[in-house]
Amino acid sequence: MKKILIASTALLLIGAHGASAQEKTLTISVYGFAQDAFKELVYDPFEAKCGCKLVVETGNSVERLAKMEANKANPVVDMAVVSMADALSATRAGLIDKIDTSKLSNFDKLYDIAKDPNGDGMSIGYTFYATSIVYRSDKVEVTSWADLLGDKLAGHVALPNVTTNQGPPTLYMIGEALGQNTPDLKAAIAAVGEKKDDIVTFYVKSSQLVQLMQQEEIWAAPIGRFSWEGFTKMDLPIKWATPKEGQTGGMNVMVLAKGSKNQDLALQFMDFWLSTEIQTALAEKLVDSPANKEVKVSPEIAENLTYGEETVKNLKLIPSAVALDNREAWLSEWNAKVGQ
Amino acid sequence: MFHNRAEALALALPAAVFAAVVFLAPVVILLAEGFRNADGWSVSAYSGFLSDPLNRTVFLRTLRLGAAVTVVAAVIGYAAAFAIVNLPPKGKGRMIGLVVLPLMISPVARTYAWIVILGRTGIVNQALTSVGLTDEPVRFLFTETAVFVGLLQLFLPLMILALISALENMPKDAIPAARVLGANWFQVFWKVILPLTREGLVIGGTLVFTGSLTAYITPAILGGSKVLMLETLLYQRVTVANDFVSASVIAFILIVMSFAANLLLKRLATARSKR
Repeated sequence: MKKILIASTALLLIGAHGASAQEKTLTISVYGFAQDAFKELVYDPFEAKCGCKLVVETGNSVERLAKMEANKANPVVDMAVVSMADALSATRAGLIDKIDTSKLSNFDKLYDIAKDPNGDGMSIGYTFYATSIVYRSDKVEVTSWADLLGDKLAGHVALPNVTTNQGPPTLYMIGEALGQNTPDLKAAIAAVGEKKDDIVTFYVKSSQLVQLMQQEEIWAAPIGRFSWEGFTKMDLPIKWATPKEGQTGGMNVMVLAKGSKNQDLALQFMDFWLSTEIQTALAEKLVDSPANKEVKVSPEIAENLTYGEETVKNLKLIPSAVALDNREAWLSEWNAKVGQ
Repeated sequence: MFHNRAEALALALPAAVFAAVVFLAPVVILLAEGFRNADGWSVSAYSGFLSDPLNRTVFLRTLRLGAAVTVVAAVIGYAAAFAIVNLPPKGKGRMIGLVVLPLMISPVARTYAWIVILGRTGIVNQALTSVGLTDEPVRFLFTETAVFVGLLQLFLPLMILALISALENMPKDAIPAARVLGANWFQVFWKVILPLTREGLVIGGTLVFTGSLTAYITPAILGGSKVLMLETLLYQRVTVANDFVSASVIAFILIVMSFAANLLLKRLATARSKR
């Protein structure tokens, strides 16, 4: 028995030693979306370059943040990508560290809004998207966010649920169109609640909308630009609206886990992801719109992205603090006025 | 069969330990979450949950749809099962095969099919318009009607199968005897068939009701967030709000509803037979 014990302990030690000598490991936490493309364009090339091993955790941001919070004392994840508002929430919970941008050679190439989205130095934008309204141009003309609740679209429109990423930005713009844009979104939620019988559904997954549009169930819906491609492939006259109030959207950012033992490696990875080469590759595969302004893509590719200085400058994003401080209130207001 | 009880218990032990460790313990831990607050044990999560009008609406909708699906499934189920049991053996086998067939198709695929069927351009609306019952396509999707139809189609086979086996076990002469003695068909059903097949009805009813309560895909796809049911609300609480306390409350309510339905059905069945 004793011999076996010694032998297995020895084996364990060899094993542990072998692993550490083999390579460093960087654990990242990302959205579950387009992982095949990310593996090919970002993860594999980075592993080859750094001689390290990437461990990728995926999931929606609520789950992933909850996990980071649970492992706060002994972080598993070194670097994560989350939404702008979630980054602020992670900052407030003390889960992330300031990013030393002097170590990022590609930092100066970023659009200004991506450099420090929350104004606290804790996150860097790596992609953003515009949110506007897709519509059947043979049935209606959409020129304002208020058209979503207008008579012409009654019974033919889907809106995002307040719990989705597109929900609050859509309400924000409806409020803007109503001339009552307060952070509590009260006017917009009340307006939607009044018209809720005219809304076909409050969607949770935008992938569902293509089918609803194809079946003529709906003529219009607000979507993020990343979902646009599916609509262009339909055999129907479909347009992307440029409402007079402007377009809204969202930004995803990179953050650095507090207490991570691999911060330098994490910074190398961020820099790699933000480089013109990688951002161009991701843009060309229509995975993510570039935050790096040196990225040049063809007009056909640009058509399916949120691209170009002008577009980026005119995005009306909800400030993170507004989103964070009002989330719960939006949800209960929504449940009271729309949910039942 | 066994020399003593201990031997029997020893044989049952591995299964019991397995169930306790991987099923009972996690369930208890999860449910305990709902009975705690910062100060210790409490039912505040339950009173808080039920004081929200949205939650009450969702609870009542779940109960209403579950009951409606069960009752309609029982009515259709009796008719279908009765017809199938009286077929010649070959036809009976084929019909049972047809009843079982939908169970072999993924509920996701079946539910998506309903999106096409119930859509504005789907066959139901085409039929309604061509017959002249309506000028404008009727909106079925994302309504309680759609969820009801989806759940009924999903769980009807279970009811039919339960009733078939109950009808098969019924003495063959019971119905002719009742007829000879002058009972009409309603009386035959009410006084003879129903009491003699109540076990099947209890099993079928419990399966259909619990199935309807706990189905996730059908209400999620056909109802969406406009027709929330307890199961879709549970999912929303966890994934959107990371609110495991509400989730635990909902899980407990669902368990209680399932047990209550089973007890109620049993009670109804025995009450009938005593008369």
